[in-house]
Amino acid sequence: MTVLYALVGAAIVGCAIFMILSRNLVRMLLGLSLLATGANLLLFIAGRIRTDQAPIIKEGAKVLEDAADPVVQALILTAIVIGFALTIIMGVLVLRAWRTQATVDARKLESAEAMGAARARDGADE
Amino acid sequence: MSDTLLLIAPLMIPFLGAASALLLRSRPAAATAIGLIAAALTAAVSTALLLRIFQSGPPAMSVFGGWPHGFGVSFSATLPGAALVFITGLVALAAAIYALGDIGPRRRRAGYDALMLAMIGAVNGAFLTEDLFNLYVWFELALLSALGLLTLDRRAAQIDGAIRYAAFAMLAATFILLGVGMVYGLTGTLHIGAAASALAKAPPSFASATAAALLLGGLMLKSGLVPFHLWLPASYHTAPITVAAVFAGLLTKMGFFALLIVLGGVFGIGSGGVGAAQLVPLLGAFAAATMLICVTGALAQTDMRRMLAYHVIAQVGYMMAALALATRDGLAAAVFYMIHSIVVQANLFFGAGLIRRACGSWDLTRTGGVVRKEPLLALLLAVPILSLAGIPPFSGFWAKLIVIRESFSAGMAWLGAVAILAGLLTIISMANFWSDACWRQARTPMRRVPRSGLAAMALLSITTLMIGVAPQWLLSIARMSARMIGDAS
Amino acid sequence: MFAILAASLAGACLMPLLARVIGRGAGLIIAMLPAGLLAAFVSMAPIVERGWVMGQGRAWAPALGLDFTLRLDGFSFLFCLLVTGIGALVIIYSDGYLTNKTRAERSRFYTLILFFLTAMLGCVLAENLLVMLMFWEATSVLSFLLVGFDSRSPRSRRAALMALQVTAFGGLMLLAAVLMIGATLGTYSMAQAVSQAPALAASPMGAPIVACLLIAAFTKSAQFPFHFWLPNAMQAPTPASAYLHSATMVKLGVYLLARFEPVFASVSWGRPVVIFVACLTMLVAALQALRAENFKSALAYSTIASLGILVLLVGLDGPAATVAMVGFLLAHALYKAALFFCAGSVLHATGHHNLRTLGGLARFLPLTAVACAGASLSMAGIPPFIGFISKEFLFEAQLQSSWELAPLAVAVLVNAAMVGVAGVITLRPFFLGKGKVTEVEHGETFWLVAPPLVLALAGLAISLEPDWITRVALRPAVAAVYGKAVEVDISVWHGVTPMLLLSGVVVTIGALIVRFWRQIHERLRAIERFDLYALERLWDHALQGLASGSRAATLWIQHGDLRRYLVMVLVAMAALIAWSTAAVGQKPQWPAIGELRAAPIICALVGLGGAVAATRAKSLVAALVATGLTGFALAITFMTNGAPDLALTQFTVETLIVVLLTAVLLAVPLANPVTRTRRMQITDAAIASSVALLLFIAVVDMAARPHDAAASAFFGEMSYVAAKGHNVVNVILVDFRAFDTLGETTVIAVAAILARSLLMRRGRTHDVVADLPVHFSLRAAGRTLAWLLLAASVVILWRGHDRPGGGFVGGLVAALSFALIALAYGVDRAERALRLQPLAVVGVGLLCVLLSGLAGLAVGEPYLTHLWWEPAGLPKLGTTLIFDVGVYLVVLGSVCAFLFGLQREASR
Repeated sequence: MTVLYALVGAAIVGCAIFMILSRNLVRMLLGLSLLATGANLLLFIAGRIRTDQAPIIKEGAKVLEDAADPVVQALILTAIVIGFALTIIMGVLVLRAWRTQATVDARKLESAEAMGAARARDGADE
Repeated sequence: MSDTLLLIAPLMIPFLGAASALLLRSRPAAATAIGLIAAALTAAVSTALLLRIFQSGPPAMSVFGGWPHGFGVSFSATLPGAALVFITGLVALAAAIYALGDIGPRRRRAGYDALMLAMIGAVNGAFLTEDLFNLYVWFELALLSALGLLTLDRRAAQIDGAIRYAAFAMLAATFILLGVGMVYGLTGTLHIGAAASALAKAPPSFASATAAALLLGGLMLKSGLVPFHLWLPASYHTAPITVAAVFAGLLTKMGFFALLIVLGGVFGIGSGGVGAAQLVPLLGAFAAATMLICVTGALAQTDMRRMLAYHVIAQVGYMMAALALATRDGLAAAVFYMIHSIVVQANLFFGAGLIRRACGSWDLTRTGGVVRKEPLLALLLAVPILSLAGIPPFSGFWAKLIVIRESFSAGMAWLGAVAILAGLLTIISMANFWSDACWRQARTPMRRVPRSGLAAMALLSITTLMIGVAPQWLLSIARMSARMIGDAS
Repeated sequence: MFAILAASLAGACLMPLLARVIGRGAGLIIAMLPAGLLAAFVSMAPIVERGWVMGQGRAWAPALGLDFTLRLDGFSFLFCLLVTGIGALVIIYSDGYLTNKTRAERSRFYTLILFFLTAMLGCVLAENLLVMLMFWEATSVLSFLLVGFDSRSPRSRRAALMALQVTAFGGLMLLAAVLMIGATLGTYSMAQAVSQAPALAASPMGAPIVACLLIAAFTKSAQFPFHFWLPNAMQAPTPASAYLHSATMVKLGVYLLARFEPVFASVSWGRPVVIFVACLTMLVAALQALRAENFKSALAYSTIASLGILVLLVGLDGPAATVAMVGFLLAHALYKAALFFCAGSVLHATGHHNLRTLGGLARFLPLTAVACAGASLSMAGIPPFIGFISKEFLFEAQLQSSWELAPLAVAVLVNAAMVGVAGVITLRPFFLGKGKVTEVEHGETFWLVAPPLVLALAGLAISLEPDWITRVALRPAVAAVYGKAVEVDISVWHGVTPMLLLSGVVVTIGALIVRFWRQIHERLRAIERFDLYALERLWDHALQGLASGSRAATLWIQHGDLRRYLVMVLVAMAALIAWSTAAVGQKPQWPAIGELRAAPIICALVGLGGAVAATRAKSLVAALVATGLTGFALAITFMTNGAPDLALTQFTVETLIVVLLTAVLLAVPLANPVTRTRRMQITDAAIASSVALLLFIAVVDMAARPHDAAASAFFGEMSYVAAKGHNVVNVILVDFRAFDTLGETTVIAVAAILARSLLMRRGRTHDVVADLPVHFSLRAAGRTLAWLLLAASVVILWRGHDRPGGGFVGGLVAALSFALIALAYGVDRAERALRLQPLAVVGVGLLCVLLSGLAGLAVGEPYLTHLWWEPAGLPKLGTTLIFDVGVYLVVLGSVCAFLFGLQREASR
């Protein structure tokens, strides 16, 4: 199972990267969301895939019996929520870019780089 | 104040301030007051924290929730961290003062104070934490607050810059997260010290090598090192100038600090660790490329902010050069450089903002006359300019001197030579800056600059001067820091 | 000496303020400072006279090897006398010269001059090389500021930048040399470095050290090929030129060479290079001096020639060379400063400085003419002026040294040219060409006349009565430089010697030059090659090239195409992983396959299919759906692998992402035009698959290695016993690692502020969402469903500590209920249903999270230590609940902020 999950996780990351490299900002946004998903699956493997027992202490027991690694689950949970926030913010930015510049093509968004391009100095600067 | 309280205060004060500013953001006056008071309190407690470490040697440490060390998330005020928290407090205070004359009610309503305080808290968190995943969380918090601050005015260029920034930062976050996850997968712990000793026990493997590379790549992206730097000159300059100053001062250094902790602490570079020894030859190349490419980038710019943004990265190149020496003295040099650079970079951006105020343009072909109309500004600006250029007796001179000296004694003279070349180009760039902004005849009638801005600059300029006149304090902090980073592994 | 430096520094900070208060005449008071310092040094003369060396030191930064050590020996003493003495005269002169400047400018000028004076003193007194370097750099920067003093003029600025670029380059070379010396010897003491010169030269860094030292000296002392900055530096106000660029600062290079003579003499090529460079400099400078048509330029080039002579003398071996060097140093400082003063007076009085148009000024400026004549006679080496004596020494040194005659021939020629220049600059403006200048703006003033007269008289007085200066300054200086005492005999008449004959030759040729100056001058000016191949032009070209090169490189790297940026980053990342793993050279391990279960496999493959479909989707909506599919498949994967909390969260998050991004998609065009060429796509696919492949191998390798589960085991044991929760994941989130959660909650809160700030929309907008064709069943059941979801969310929150659930999922589910209302009835309705501002909810939640941890502090435990209250019969209550409620509120408020903002923005 581990190998399969690693394969799927890595493949999702690969697909995500392919989408991120697109010049359509919405596709890039979806790619980034997918990237977080794939990374979470890879992260899940760090806790090892051994059992389908949830890390919940059974009623009456005091300690956890054999179960999936809870630490990595807590980390992924945090990462999922952070990834969610980032995806939405990216979405908001893309929407704003569309509103202000009427394009979602990364090539046409160049107002940040157009400023103060390059220095043209010569002796007679006055 | 108890140690635990002192340790958490540099985080809690900004966060509580952020929460209150969030609730009161429709009242700009209240938000302003909260921003200023929280910044002043942060500066005060961070000073107290640093003093506390000097008075009673062993570093304070606190595990949140009171769990045994190594299991919960813990903070410890080891030296580079505490010193950086102190400097962060200083920059935060200066920024809050500067903001009085730069950030108006509209920006405050958009949440400036809450965002800025959240970012300060995040930066402090990254400087104090002992936990790799916690570090990742602070990076994300810093990123989101930075995006918020970047887009305060919602101008097209800001949105554009923020998209570039966010795309890069999300990639970086993924790299870091994967790297942290793999360290956990290999060692079963997220505590920096425990992970370091676990990694040191086993020989490097494919997985550990990948983890090191992922963390290096992700954190280089955060610190803006070549070839991962492209987002920085594309975004920093679009932010309101107070924000840009804080970015320039703190964010790249936060990334570099994490690099230092991860490579120096977790993988033992600089203290004989083998975990990432295979990466050391690359570090020198990255450092050299960063110094040269970014300093020429600065020479090519006419927009003050973009020019300074390139210098921000070029300076990180010097720090990387120090780290690339992979010696304990190299680590110390990197820490020294980092602390000096935070103050100087923030101050330069402050100065650029005031020049803009006086001359009405960011463009160096349209500025001028500062030395005649605003001599105090010129004087205060001279300090960071000279410091960045590495002119004695300002802090930058010692910082460069130490880096170059260590590169000579570590047998990497070529890196020292590159640093000297980059230093010459920096001097040329700064001289042009001075000549264009301060000397040339002003093109338009000049306006007065706000006193608050000058006060903020004075605070940082005096700090720079103090480091320059008494470098041994900072040097001893840097040496202790290098030892403590090494001891983690 | 510390006291002197401190006094000088304090004076530099305070005294110039007088100029703001008093205005004209302040110079006389300010000049008391250097005069007082001069007196202080003179009072130390008895020490120096006995050949003693006075040392003082205190630790500064011992860890750096940096001790503030000072040393006063004969050579330093001579420099100190010159610096303070001429400094006083310069300030007096400035008072008369800067008449057209404002008080603020005058005050600034005095400040710079006094700072410069301090830096010079520090540089020549420093024993520690780092300290010397520090003051050395300070002189460069102050020179920059003084050259650019008339900062409105573009020429001044250009000259200042050029001076700084060259001297700063030299300064960095000196830095390199000093650091290499430190790395080799382990000390920064100048005395130690000099005493271990052979060892230093023999070390592997020997050659670079000498090369760097020589470059540093050559740049500072304007030696070929770095000489071009000095004539330009004459843009500085004349008193500054006189002081920095002829009398003192430019001699620092000579000072450095003299101090390090044993070091560069220890490498075989050291002396030849120095002598060759000096000769070349002298020749070039002499020719240029004859070409110069500008009073100050002629002086500048003659200064370069003189510096060449000084460097030559340092390069020559033998005691006579040292004697000659010291003597000429003194003589030159005296006469050249005087000549600059005179040139300044002429410029000031007439506004002209062209030697061809000036003439007959002796009528208007008689005393200046006298001073100029005196100084020129000294420069020309006419007895009984001191210049004569120094020239005798020069020839003696050359005859005595072991060198060929070539340097001697050069020296004779150059000295003849100097005679010529001296004659021209005195005779032409003052005595010849009567009637060329018919009126001057003002006559002579005390301020402008006294300094040159004093210097000219000093030149005469010293040669006539040389005992005192020989005893206290020259002899000790020679001893300090040469390393042992040398008999110095200064007198005007030595009888008929070869030196006298050479002097005669020199004066004769010089006289001819004066006679035929106009012809020579015009002939030389006609040769354009001088201008075409001038190093100044080359330097300009180099800078221009640097600027355009930088520009081109930057545009090439920072081209603005986001895709190529990202390609670069990802390629670099892949290369980094590849390098790292290859360098480690460990083969990856392969884990045991383990049991295979059909359902999870299918589920994972569905996820993969979603991802692949997303890359190939023609429409953005399809891509969004495919992405969502991957997310849902992953949720089920988590479910089947013992992670119900993850599954719940992933499920709700994915739902919300689809809902929220739909709002984005509603606004932007849905068509998904191809933005990449086929080749780009192949490249991108290659990059993506190599990153994926490397990650795959690494993760597999990681999974195959043993896993230390100490932390998980600890949490499993303590979760119920100590933290009172059955659901270990939730306990980790709210207790063991609550601090992460705190940070994450803040992240969400900040995201809400950001969304709110970017999507801020005032007033009601036309609500298209409300007009969307919504299925009637949703309208009918929406309210009930929403209430049900809200109730469920509270249950999830409450039971989270023991069973799957918790604040995050609860908050997300609660937000879903508002999303439902918004979908069914429109955003306005949903906003009304929430009643509060979303950000207010976020703020309250954040405060809950932050404050819940303070309870622990109150009882002396660390932050975020949770307290419990367990009343009998009732469910246990803990501060974890406050924490989790805070998380719930923050998530709810934030998602509502996203939701409302996005939907409003989309419906605009």
